[in-house]
Amino acid sequence: MSKFDDRIKTELEQKTDADVHELKDDIWNVINEELFEGSRTTMKRKKRWMPAMLIAAAALILAFTLQTEPGLALIKGIKDMFVPEKEIIQSIEGQDEPTEVHLNEGKDSEYIIYVDESRYKMIKGEDSDVITTIEPLPEKYPEVSMEIKQYPTDQPEMLVKELEEKLKVDFPDLREIETVSEPVEGFWLHGLTESTWDGKVIDVYVISNGKDGSFVITEKYFLEAAEGHGARFSHMLQSFEIIE
Amino acid sequence: MQQEKWVRKIRAGDQTAFRQFYEAYAGPAIRTASAITRNREMAKDAVQETFIRVYRQIGSYNPTLPFDPWFYRILTNECLRLMKRESPLSTIETLENAPSLVEESFDQLTELYDIIQALDDSHRIPLILKYIKGFSEKEIADILGLNQNTVKSRLFKGRKRLKEQLEPTREEDMF
Repeated sequence: MSKFDDRIKTELEQKTDADVHELKDDIWNVINEELFEGSRTTMKRKKRWMPAMLIAAAALILAFTLQTEPGLALIKGIKDMFVPEKEIIQSIEGQDEPTEVHLNEGKDSEYIIYVDESRYKMIKGEDSDVITTIEPLPEKYPEVSMEIKQYPTDQPEMLVKELEEKLKVDFPDLREIETVSEPVEGFWLHGLTESTWDGKVIDVYVISNGKDGSFVITEKYFLEAAEGHGARFSHMLQSFEIIE
Repeated sequence: MQQEKWVRKIRAGDQTAFRQFYEAYAGPAIRTASAITRNREMAKDAVQETFIRVYRQIGSYNPTLPFDPWFYRILTNECLRLMKRESPLSTIETLENAPSLVEESFDQLTELYDIIQALDDSHRIPLILKYIKGFSEKEIADILGLNQNTVKSRLFKGRKRLKEQLEPTREEDMF
């Protein structure tokens, strides 16, 4: 390194020294609060649920209007309460990516989610709904999907422990259960089979259904697709709303 | 290698390992963010968000690839995102293009740091990555999503401009 290189290096270090000393602890405190201290608190109600006042108002309207034929027509779909499509900004590795997403209604209208329909489709099943790539991936790629399933009688605290035991069979290095607030508020399990490009990744979120049961969202993808499909699943899941 | 151990432990949710990793990586990360954003509060936000993302998205890191470029790609993108948010009409998003070398007039600048900071982002940011963290041209290209030759050319032009400004009559020992 030439003297000039040394001079640039030294100058940059000297001019940023004060920021390192003054910010380092503050930054850690925020990170610690966000990742660890905050997550130890009791699980709050999912913040993206409709506000209580809106739910109460909707319930009142339902109570009155369902008694009449016109009322039935009026409440033909809870979907009407949400815009059918919107543009969101997805952050993929910090790069903003504008994406148009479309409203999809879950099984029995119990939830809604906005789906990036330029890449994915939602398949509604008997027991669960699955969001997967529009065109099936070639065989060499592991499964890429996000399943949303409701367990009406299983509380999240118990269910997540059961799922943890089951997942440990295929994912021996499964992370310990964490409480998270993003992309949904609930419990999170994360596993990876191996650190190769096609290593299978699983993210399982277990959240309260607002009553006595749970919703389980299972994301499956592979390591190389983590920053693509994995990040996009996470963004779609942020739009997940339970309809009470 | 220590960094590989940290990554493995962070993947397993080891908070102590994450704290050790923070202690080791925070300094250069703050320096880099501070130099890129030229704004202490923005640098703080960028570094915070980067470490939080790294912890939450460590599963998306491919361990067969070098870790530092992955980390600094997230950090740099976060800095650029915040800068763009603060001044959406600026030229920040032109990193892939080749704008003029100088963002401001050099006339009144005598301090090297000020001269570096007066370069446009496309020349300034590669210099910051090279001199604060010691990244190679290939690594800088990877971090910024640029061609390696483009990075090489921008580093050359950036250093040349700095040298000219500081020692206009002594160019022979520039490199």
